Amino acid sequence: MNSSTPTAYRPETRTATNLSLGFLTGAVIGASLTAFIGGCVVERTPLIATGLALPAAYGLLFLFLLATLPHRAREAAVVPRTALAAIESLEAFGGEASDVPVRFELSVAPDDTPAFRVEIRQDVNLVELPDYRRRGIVVVEYPPDRPWKTRILKRPTPEWEDRAALAQIDSVPGPAMKDETPEGCLSGLLTLLGLLLGVAAVLLLFRADLFDSHDAEGSAPRPSVTSSPSSSSSTITVTSATGTVALGPGRSMLDKGELREAVESLTQGADRRRALTVVVQNRLLTVVFSPTDLRTPGFDPRSLPYDRVPELVEEAGTTLGVGSPRSWQLTADGVSGSLRLTIVVTGGGGTGTVQTDGQGNVLRRSGS
Amino acid sequence: MGWDRFLVLWCAGWGVVALIGYGMSLAGVTKAQRTVRLTGRIERVRPPRHGGSRTGGISVVVTYRDPASGQQVTVTNDGERGEMITVAWEGREVGLSHPPGRPHSYRFSNTPQEPGRGLGRPSFALFLVYVGLVVLAALDWGWPCALIGFGGPWALMGAVHLPEAVRAKNRRIERLAAMDTVPGHVVAVLKDVGVDEDGDTWTTITPVVSFTTREGTAVTAHCTSNLPDPAGAYGRDVTVHHTPTDPADFTLDPAAEHRSQKRDVTFHVLMCVVLVATAVTGAALL
Repeated sequence: MNSSTPTAYRPETRTATNLSLGFLTGAVIGASLTAFIGGCVVERTPLIATGLALPAAYGLLFLFLLATLPHRAREAAVVPRTALAAIESLEAFGGEASDVPVRFELSVAPDDTPAFRVEIRQDVNLVELPDYRRRGIVVVEYPPDRPWKTRILKRPTPEWEDRAALAQIDSVPGPAMKDETPEGCLSGLLTLLGLLLGVAAVLLLFRADLFDSHDAEGSAPRPSVTSSPSSSSSTITVTSATGTVALGPGRSMLDKGELREAVESLTQGADRRRALTVVVQNRLLTVVFSPTDLRTPGFDPRSLPYDRVPELVEEAGTTLGVGSPRSWQLTADGVSGSLRLTIVVTGGGGTGTVQTDGQGNVLRRSGS
Repeated sequence: MGWDRFLVLWCAGWGVVALIGYGMSLAGVTKAQRTVRLTGRIERVRPPRHGGSRTGGISVVVTYRDPASGQQVTVTNDGERGEMITVAWEGREVGLSHPPGRPHSYRFSNTPQEPGRGLGRPSFALFLVYVGLVVLAALDWGWPCALIGFGGPWALMGAVHLPEAVRAKNRRIERLAAMDTVPGHVVAVLKDVGVDEDGDTWTTITPVVSFTTREGTAVTAHCTSNLPDPAGAYGRDVTVHHTPTDPADFTLDPAAEHRSQKRDVTFHVLMCVVLVATAVTGAALL
């Protein structure tokens, strides 16, 4: 029998799809791993969620529903063809297992289509290995659209068994087609490129979060998240544990709306964090945030009666007859459970203290 | 996102999956419902080769009538073809199934199967909803709720199924008592050696016995239990006990089977007791 041109069967159509899928998979792996690990390190929930959701969504929706399922359905719908084949050569690769991989080169002679030569690998049990010898006739099955997926039938039907016992098959000349993707190296490189691009994309998109926090770990005093000065004369610093606002010269926390604005600037963002302690001085606001543990006590730093602060500072100063107050400090403490505000005013004549509840109602006054 | 909200989402998601699954089953469009189920007949049993592999089961040639064309079709159990045929005799009826329109993707089952309703996946989704609800209850009302949630329903289910388990044991013991006893022979010992991921070698030994029933049916069967020193059993004569109506139901040691049945029921009762104790502990701690 004469051979057809084996190259006609080459799996070239699937090359582009495979390459792009490999590239995309590499990108998703790179991006999700970077996002997840980076998110864990800087404790950023959106990053961690991206790292988990991206591969899940890609795997389920794209790879499985859009690529794998239709591909499998198309393959499964193809009716396999049975044919006789002559073994041109075989090479067994030994191992400890009872089934050893064997490389077969076969001349396949279908009844109604041209014969072709194919190289396959199939596991054969050691006990059955002597059944396969050079120029022996075997029954094979192959999908007509993918003849390189030829498989030797170890248990053919009696009809095919009888045909194989009597058949003579001529060798098919020419190179044998293989189930090898010639783009193997390119595919690996593209996947690697995708992986690197995925990593780079996440690093680029989240560079502010990732790199600033990384710097912070190297030098402890620096904040893990820093925003630039929000206005020309104040500096806002937020770390995972504390937040501070330092006002510029000529401004005071006692100015109308200044303190509330400063607190708002520290607590804006996706997660409204709770605070353990809030300390306010004339030009400095410091908030100690609660750890991200549900059971830790704390209070909403925005809930404090900031509008009453100037009045309370005034009261702490005047009650004690302090003539010209030099400095004041407000401390809101929620560690013990119930929120207490303590305003201490220190002047030339001594110290005045006013203690209030969370709503600003005066509980105690004292002075020295 | 808090754990509570995550669990509610979990339950809602799987609840929707379960509803879709049950809806599809009601509409009759699940994979199991669309599968074509046929009955085939073993025409030939090929003798196993001593030292060969058990993979693929006993080599058989099966014929069935294709309902579409009305023609007789001959197939073999070559490659991945569903259940492994481990007991075979000429004339035995086996189950065959294939997706609609794809008779070449046929799969075997040891007995002809009733059409399924495809409730496996939605039921598993419902199970995941249940797990989510129990964890949610444990988070909201304390961890003893988990003991009640997991112990209670399973104890109830175990108790409901206990009478049926006892009846099944009794039926099995009756069948064991009424078994025919015939001589048999170990015609081959199959040996599968493999290497796992850690590089360790595993070996599976499967003796194959052959016996002829009083009606003259020559049966070939994998025999993996109640045969001492299976690796050296090749050529050994054995006594086979089998149910007269179904040679697939056979054993070499009815006494051991008898004991095993009793053990099964004891285990069932013990599990029920443990589950009830778990639920009671949970209720006491709550």
